[in-house]
Amino acid sequence: MSKALQRQRSGRLREAMSLAGLDVLVVAGDAWRSDYFRYAIDVTPMEGLALAVVWRDGATQVFVENPAEASRIAAEQPMLEVSWGPAPMAQVEAVLAALGPERLGLAPSHVLPLRLAKGPGGATIAATTAMLDNLMVRKSAEEADVVARAVRLADEGYAVFRQAARVGRREYEVVADLEAWFRSQGCPENFMIMGSGGQEVRSMHPPGERVLQAGDLVTTELTPCLEGYYTQICRTLVLGQPTPLQIRSHAVYVEAMEAGIAKVKPGATQGEVAKALNDVFRAHGLGEYITSAYTRVRGHGLGLYVDGPHVLEDVTLVLEANMTLIVHPNTYHPDVGYIVLGDAVRVTETGCEVLTRTPRELFACP
Amino acid sequence: MRRGFMHWSQQELPPAALDARVARLQSVMRTQGLGAVLTYASFAQPAPLQWLCNYIPYWSEAVLVVWPEGPPTMLVAGTPRTHGWIRSVSHMGELVAAPKPGARAAEILASKLSAQALVGVIGLDSLPWTTAEPLLAAGWGPRLVDATAAYISVRHPGDDAEHAMARTARAIAEHAIAAIPATARKSSEVLAALDGAARLAGAEEVLPRIAPDLGLSATLLRIEGDQELGSRYAVDCSMAYKGVWVRVVQSVTGGEQPALWGDAKTWFDHLLPKVGGSRSMADLVATAPAEVTHWALEASIGVAPLSVVASSNWPSEQVLPPNSLAVFSVQLALSDGLWLRSAPLRLGAGALAKASAEPVTA
Repeated sequence: MSKALQRQRSGRLREAMSLAGLDVLVVAGDAWRSDYFRYAIDVTPMEGLALAVVWRDGATQVFVENPAEASRIAAEQPMLEVSWGPAPMAQVEAVLAALGPERLGLAPSHVLPLRLAKGPGGATIAATTAMLDNLMVRKSAEEADVVARAVRLADEGYAVFRQAARVGRREYEVVADLEAWFRSQGCPENFMIMGSGGQEVRSMHPPGERVLQAGDLVTTELTPCLEGYYTQICRTLVLGQPTPLQIRSHAVYVEAMEAGIAKVKPGATQGEVAKALNDVFRAHGLGEYITSAYTRVRGHGLGLYVDGPHVLEDVTLVLEANMTLIVHPNTYHPDVGYIVLGDAVRVTETGCEVLTRTPRELFACP
Repeated sequence: MRRGFMHWSQQELPPAALDARVARLQSVMRTQGLGAVLTYASFAQPAPLQWLCNYIPYWSEAVLVVWPEGPPTMLVAGTPRTHGWIRSVSHMGELVAAPKPGARAAEILASKLSAQALVGVIGLDSLPWTTAEPLLAAGWGPRLVDATAAYISVRHPGDDAEHAMARTARAIAEHAIAAIPATARKSSEVLAALDGAARLAGAEEVLPRIAPDLGLSATLLRIEGDQELGSRYAVDCSMAYKGVWVRVVQSVTGGEQPALWGDAKTWFDHLLPKVGGSRSMADLVATAPAEVTHWALEASIGVAPLSVVASSNWPSEQVLPPNSLAVFSVQLALSDGLWLRSAPLRLGAGALAKASAEPVTA
């Protein structure tokens, strides 16, 4: 990540701490929820629990469970004071025990371990997590620029996926080709799930042993990462020529996604985006298939985490310029099975910019 | 963040093996008077839950509730739409949709246990607050006890199924490192070959790191973007095969292998059978042909796949029984440069034998 963006995030964090009256911030992270940790100190934990003690007006201390992690983090960010031990929580407790009148905040609630939550600052977890959430959702233009640049990986990655998905290959073999390509591009992380089959398929999952068959619908959600920021693309292909029924069904998803994207602008809510998208399904008599029995969310935020504020009809988050999200009407279609389609978008001052360049097609693959 | 191939082969890991693991924990639970044992999992903290029921949350979270008798109950944060897939890759009793697993666990405990019952939690200290808070709010706080020691007491030395999968994991990791082109000059070339080969051979997850230039540093880095490689570098293929983790680190050169590397490898290979034996690690590493700048012994003793059991910075050794799966890592300062190596082993028995089936490449 550029030093300028690192300084910008550090400045925003310290300004937020000042506004919240915090002198010291303890941030926890692990390989699953690395986002808060990455925002605060620009480090992505790989193994074990990582804890950072961020002083508003001083050096940051990092405590990890593994000596290799400690060496790595110290090499990546030489300004950090990194140490390791079998009980990093005890090391943080020792730091906190030596605090004087400093005001302390702990976050995030998703990772923060019980042992620390029961100690000093435990009452601040919800508010401190919300403080960091606010920083991460309301991105600077420079952060949104990184998400926009990451979209190249998603578009080109999907082209690699299309080449790899062939009759006779197993799902995990397809993914091996794709992950190797992401590595060749210097992309360190990718969250992906997929599905393959026909009308019986109702969701996506990690790649398995299933052998791809002629006529399969093959769905995927690729989520590559650039400098810590994730983007996403969702597309569906057919192994062979799509049937008229598959083409007609897919057209509903294109119409829905375009209706949702048309609502993305400053001042609109995530809920309004979801409603626009869902209304298309309702108009086609498919209202049953936008419920939780068949689908999860109609999109979500994109940033240092692959998920984020969800696009659902009851979500009141008001969109602002430089927020980044994916709009995806992914759900089961009773005639043909599970279909996914999703484009990444960036909220602009007047509307939104569609970042994804891959055509909104039901692709036919040999 | 990346999850790959997930599958449950009942030939490799029979349901009876998982039942036996649960039964071993239940035996200790009854001895200790525990009404239930909880274990939480995300993919960053997968180890106990995966070992007991073979489930790994590729996304989101889960809590497994082990009762003193009968099959465990699993609470998963994912939607019920995923339950069919979850059932296909794991083995448990009741499967419950629980958007907030901690809150649902509190309800289930209240419905099944007396008001005085003690509840063990594997990795109690590290239980994430979003899961712990509802348990505390429901009044379970004073009755939660740390069950990590109870878990470790039954966790090792592991069973035949786990050992066989570890052998396969080791074979895949070595196969992946062998796939690195000799002409590689950039980290991206190394990582693409390594990751692709490992996943094509069936790896579930790969966490690669590179020390790009052993002439400068032995620190294994997570590479974002690309880096030029020195004439000697080291590569770490930490990876999982169906939930079983190994770490294989090797030093690599594009040219002729330095003579001292051969001596170092011979020493390392002879050392492995002695690790976990009667001699202390300090004694063992003192036999090295050069200064040992770092060593570590890791095993699955917590919620993470691998945790440090002992190291040069922290030599106190947790006692694990013979034949327990572990990983030994060492860093030597040879007279002509740094050298790194890690390999999985069985304590007191040496390197893992060759897998009965070598990884298959498509």
